Amino acid sequence: MEKRVNDVGGLPGMTIRQETHPATLHQKRVDALYALLTSPPVSAFRVDSIRRTIESNTPEDYRNFGYYDKWIRAVHKVLIEQQILTAEEIEARMQEIRKRPVVVETAACANP
Amino acid sequence: MNTASNATHAVLATGTAVRVKNSPPEIHCRTPYYLRGVPGQVDTLVGRFRDPSLLAFNKPGLPMRYLYRVRFKQKDIWPDYAGSPADTLVADIFEHWLDVLKEPAHERA
Repeated sequence: MEKRVNDVGGLPGMTIRQETHPATLHQKRVDALYALLTSPPVSAFRVDSIRRTIESNTPEDYRNFGYYDKWIRAVHKVLIEQQILTAEEIEARMQEIRKRPVVVETAACANP
Repeated sequence: MNTASNATHAVLATGTAVRVKNSPPEIHCRTPYYLRGVPGQVDTLVGRFRDPSLLAFNKPGLPMRYLYRVRFKQKDIWPDYAGSPADTLVADIFEHWLDVLKEPAHERA
């Protein structure tokens, strides 16, 4: 009986960290990007595609990547899979952004 | 679009004895591992929804599937369950993951 990496209900031995923390700027950006891509007029994919991609992670990746890191990796993969963007287009844009001067905007980074 | 004819079976009444299938999961499976093969009883019909195992591949997700709230006895799920035999767990299971049992699985809790 095959079991997916996320299907951990009933398994022993996991500690749940219950302390809360404010969302980071990176996390907010991932959330915003996801909202823009899944809402009209773009509606590039549905949450089911993202879940399927996240749940196809190796056990190591599933354990080691954070929640929003898994999301953004899945968004990247699904955009390519759905032929909305190519890996080269995404990489070229990321290179362009990396060349921008670093401006630290403390107000934008400030946590509520 | 009338998709009723594509349903695998008629609407199940509350109290129908069912068993969760023990088959290999779809690639995008919404049925928890720990419930596979476990008998239970239909509690309520939640509604009809597009099939997430198809939506996950950017398909329309049709035919729509009935989703049931199914009640399981905890002692049927966990062999070493130490709590009361009357304890139950309720989970949402799509129709195509349920087999209807001829005989009731057990007395209603």
